[in-house]
Amino acid sequence: MLIRKERCVGCGRCQPYCPVEAIYFEDLKSDVDQEKCYECGTCLRSQICPVDALEESPYMFDYPRALRKYFSDPNATHALTGIAGRGTEESKTNDVPNRVGPDEVGIAIEVGRPTLGMDLRNIQKITRAMAKAGITEIEAENPFNDMIQDHQTGDLKPELMGERVLSAIMEVKVKRTQLAHILGTLKEVAKEVDSVFCVDVITRLEPGLKVPAEVIRTIEAEGFTWRPNAKINLGLGRTNKRKES
Amino acid sequence: MTHSLHREGPLDLLSQEYVLFIYPARGFNYEGSGPKSRRLMEMLYHQGPANMLVTTLRRNMYSGIPQEEILNSIKDGAKIYCVFNDREKIRKTLTRIMEMDEGISIMVSGVIDRVRDVAAEVGLKPHTINLSLGIHGRRDRLPPADIRQFTTMCGHGMVSPSLIRDVIRRVKTGKLDFWNGSIVIAGPCSCGIVNPYRSAEMLKDLVPLYTVNRL
Repeated sequence: MLIRKERCVGCGRCQPYCPVEAIYFEDLKSDVDQEKCYECGTCLRSQICPVDALEESPYMFDYPRALRKYFSDPNATHALTGIAGRGTEESKTNDVPNRVGPDEVGIAIEVGRPTLGMDLRNIQKITRAMAKAGITEIEAENPFNDMIQDHQTGDLKPELMGERVLSAIMEVKVKRTQLAHILGTLKEVAKEVDSVFCVDVITRLEPGLKVPAEVIRTIEAEGFTWRPNAKINLGLGRTNKRKES
Repeated sequence: MTHSLHREGPLDLLSQEYVLFIYPARGFNYEGSGPKSRRLMEMLYHQGPANMLVTTLRRNMYSGIPQEEILNSIKDGAKIYCVFNDREKIRKTLTRIMEMDEGISIMVSGVIDRVRDVAAEVGLKPHTINLSLGIHGRRDRLPPADIRQFTTMCGHGMVSPSLIRDVIRRVKTGKLDFWNGSIVIAGPCSCGIVNPYRSAEMLKDLVPLYTVNRL
């Protein structure tokens, strides 16, 4: 994001809207710290500027800076996947394709959430740890895939190392028996990263909205707890009779 | 992804809140989903949601956009996100969704025990759960919990901690009331699931605890 200095009247109204405090006063006018800015567009969308001084940078979609936009602005559609947002449909439509089967779990690692964001060097610590733990396949349509240079090592593309994203979701699917190993890996890598990440576990339910005992036991054994709230697919979706293109 | 499973806040307020998603599945029921989503959204307007948005326009209920314009924007693949702050409303909504039987995936995000209770009452058989195992890493860098209870209502992190502090300051100095402060907080969220009713309740609790520098 940029601020047209010739228009800015220095009211500072845009400043509180920035999730990462990238807008600051410089010579009685507002300016944007380009290093901090995630290109999320929140300040512009808020329409708070009384003189239309905010404008999108002409370099916003230049590679690799474009990653900031794709992973930080929910309104931006990722050029590679064609999906708006940071991840795929994960559990939200699992009742239709049954992506996560009865003996499997989906694991989503929401890097940078909530609100802090994460630089790609720290994300690489997670991808490397996961690769070392034997997780080399990420959900096919997940835009995370586009950042990875070598799935066997978890190395990201070197040109991305200076970039940051407000949130990205690394989604994997494994057998339930592998859940403990992955949770243990995440617990260790959490000590190394300089930001935060949220962990989600996606599992099929037993009748009566009952979480399978095997999943619960594993989560507890690895020293994790789960929040009282969760996202629940109610099982009302079905596939079209005619195959879609 | 709306991050709704990681919403923080007092359990008594979270227990009253139900986030509902209508989500066509890419490659399975995307085609032809537009009219179905529109019918569902028209029905949702009658159930009195606390906030709502369709992804083809991404402007929430309080943005001033006329309903017709919002509904007319719906096309195949449109997803609808909304939030209710009343158990009876979500019960009636789920009953209507079952009657309409459009075949689109429906998710409800809320306190697990509460969702289990409502689902059983209306005869649903939930399929999959997405559990939150919490936040890990440098938690010391996060804003405090009293600010996070607002900011985590927007999963994409569009509601800034500075905006919450700014609204508290404006309410405290009489420039905004609790409700209008809540509408300001809901503005930046592109998922439309910031619940202004819960925000207003939380502001009432929080505002007396803050001091304001009037200089």
